[in-house]
Amino acid sequence: MTDSATPSAAGDRPVPLVEFHDVTVAYGRRPVLWNVDLVIDAPCLFGIIGPNGAGKSTLLKAALGLVPLVGGRVRFAGEPLARARHTIGYVPQRESVDWDFPVSAFDVVLMGTYGRLGWFRRPGPAERASARDCLARVGLADVADRQIGRLSGGQQQRVFLARALAQEAAIYLLDEPMAGVDARSQEQIFDVLASLRAAGRLVVVVHHDLRTAAEWFDRVALIDMRLVAAGPTATVLTPDNLRRTYSGQVELLREVGLAVAERGRTS
Amino acid sequence: MSGGLPCSAALVAAASGLSASPGATVIGMAVPGVPYNTLVVACGVAAVGCAAGVVGSLALLRKRPLVGDAAAHATLAGVAGAFLLTGRRDLVSLLTGALVAALVGLGALVLVRRVTRTRDDAATAIVIGGGFGLGIALVSGITARGIPGGGGLEHFLLGHAAALTADDARLLMAVSAAAIALVVLALKEFTLVAFDASFAAATGWPVVLLDQALVTLVAVMVVVGLPAAGAVLVTALIVIPPVAARQWTDRVGTLVALAGGCGAAAALAGVIVTSTRPGLPTGPVIVLAAACFCLVSVVASPRRGWLGRTLRNAAERRAWAAGLLLDTCLRASERGDGTFTVADVTDGRTARAAWRMLEHEGLVERLHGRTADGSVPRDAWRLSGRGLDRARQRRRRAADWAAAFDRAPAAARERFSLELPECAIATDADATRAT
Repeated sequence: MTDSATPSAAGDRPVPLVEFHDVTVAYGRRPVLWNVDLVIDAPCLFGIIGPNGAGKSTLLKAALGLVPLVGGRVRFAGEPLARARHTIGYVPQRESVDWDFPVSAFDVVLMGTYGRLGWFRRPGPAERASARDCLARVGLADVADRQIGRLSGGQQQRVFLARALAQEAAIYLLDEPMAGVDARSQEQIFDVLASLRAAGRLVVVVHHDLRTAAEWFDRVALIDMRLVAAGPTATVLTPDNLRRTYSGQVELLREVGLAVAERGRTS
Repeated sequence: MSGGLPCSAALVAAASGLSASPGATVIGMAVPGVPYNTLVVACGVAAVGCAAGVVGSLALLRKRPLVGDAAAHATLAGVAGAFLLTGRRDLVSLLTGALVAALVGLGALVLVRRVTRTRDDAATAIVIGGGFGLGIALVSGITARGIPGGGGLEHFLLGHAAALTADDARLLMAVSAAAIALVVLALKEFTLVAFDASFAAATGWPVVLLDQALVTLVAVMVVVGLPAAGAVLVTALIVIPPVAARQWTDRVGTLVALAGGCGAAAALAGVIVTSTRPGLPTGPVIVLAAACFCLVSVVASPRRGWLGRTLRNAAERRAWAAGLLLDTCLRASERGDGTFTVADVTDGRTARAAWRMLEHEGLVERLHGRTADGSVPRDAWRLSGRGLDRARQRRRRAADWAAAFDRAPAAARERFSLELPECAIATDADATRAT
């Protein structure tokens, strides 16, 4: 499991791909994340699961420096964010942008290449080819020139995913990529994520749907302001852990319990 | 830099065309038959109009169109302050004062928002009111006290393009060209931040710095727009051309170019109209011209325009009504001997309009001759061969849809949302798909 992780300069112990150390975020006096300690060693499909308002998205934003930490630190393969940015791909929530903006799907995907282009340089043939390729990988080659507002919700989400692919990153952070997305797009997105894992990338997904979480992710972290549990999906999604994360949502828990049990039998 | 902006001699000369000097090439060009002063004013003002549209496009995309208004209303105080401090009244000194005041106004905007936690629009109103009040008080004070050389500062309120000298025009052109060059240089960066600031920040772009650069560019354009449109109207040059341009394109590059062209065209139109109609103020006419472009665009642009959208909606509704009526006709003809009356299938005005469409398309036909029982009804219709094919095809598709919805509602909805059912009129269906 740890063979593909980058070896540290100090010794033979591999450096974790992502390391949250006592991460604390607060809005005013209200803590959103409190002393979250989370280590992701190796490439896999990693789900961050928790109820609404649990701080899942905030955890990604904190990792990317989009919200300030009041305490703790985040390291990517042992490096601070400033030196690791080019290795991180990001898919924000779909609601975070104005889809009436005058750009095509292709233009948006091209933005994924801006990071390595640097100041004032325009995308050239190589970047354009890469953007076309990424659009094709999410199944949107035929709507490349369409204004983004004329895409369906699932297509818009896949455009965001294609933009992250164009970043050619080692670590992908996705914020609710399955929210409000039709089943077909969900499958397509999941296939792309699985192919990234197969290519040795780490894919961290903030996810709200417990039912699909059980079948999609290799490892998960349960979060409700604090880290409740983290590790292989089957050992983490236990009734006890879920009860501690989702206090009160009993019916939901029962269904998920069944789904997990079923997965345990089949695998 | 000789010759102040509010110079009544220049105004009179420009208005009457007396200063026309054939062959003059002070600004590097001469157009036969056009008074020299008009040409000077036209070049300077057109450059400013173009650059204001270009910079304004980015402000609009970043959803901060009114930031320029806060800056603009602060400029008057800067103009008055510069005059009081230096005693000079050449354009460079006064506009430098205006720029300082504009930037102070924008700083105040940030401060009000942060310190008082006031919302954007209220904070803008506070800065506009405060800055403008101060400016009016200073200018009125200078005029009332009869400070020598202080007359005419109030021209910065509404603009006074006719008084521009060749040097002034060159200054405006140089600043405008620099602003346009900066936008073109950093269009990629500005677009990225405007579309998705959090992605830009996550990928390491200095969002705050780029925003500050944009706001400063807006302030600069507001200041060089003062001679043309004045503190009150200059925001219109920043906001209106981009809104007009947005109606015609879905590309950022085209938007910027069109907005620049629209701004320049409005400025030229304003100068030309007012040079031939003495007494009309240039600034307001420029803004009116831009507003006309905007109005035409908002109404008549094919895709986003009100007219096009209304017509498309009506066509879609007609196509729906005709298709549904065709379904009704099929059901009615299956109930009896294959014939039906108009009253059997239509009910209300929409249905009768749809009926005329079916008739026009030859999907229904009047029955000639006798029915099975030998009588000849006065109002008997049936589906034509083509109508029958079309109606059965619709029925098959409806069944397919229903089955797909039963299997996977979300996926089915996604697949069908962009398509109307087989429409009675093909062009309507095409129009629907094109949107």
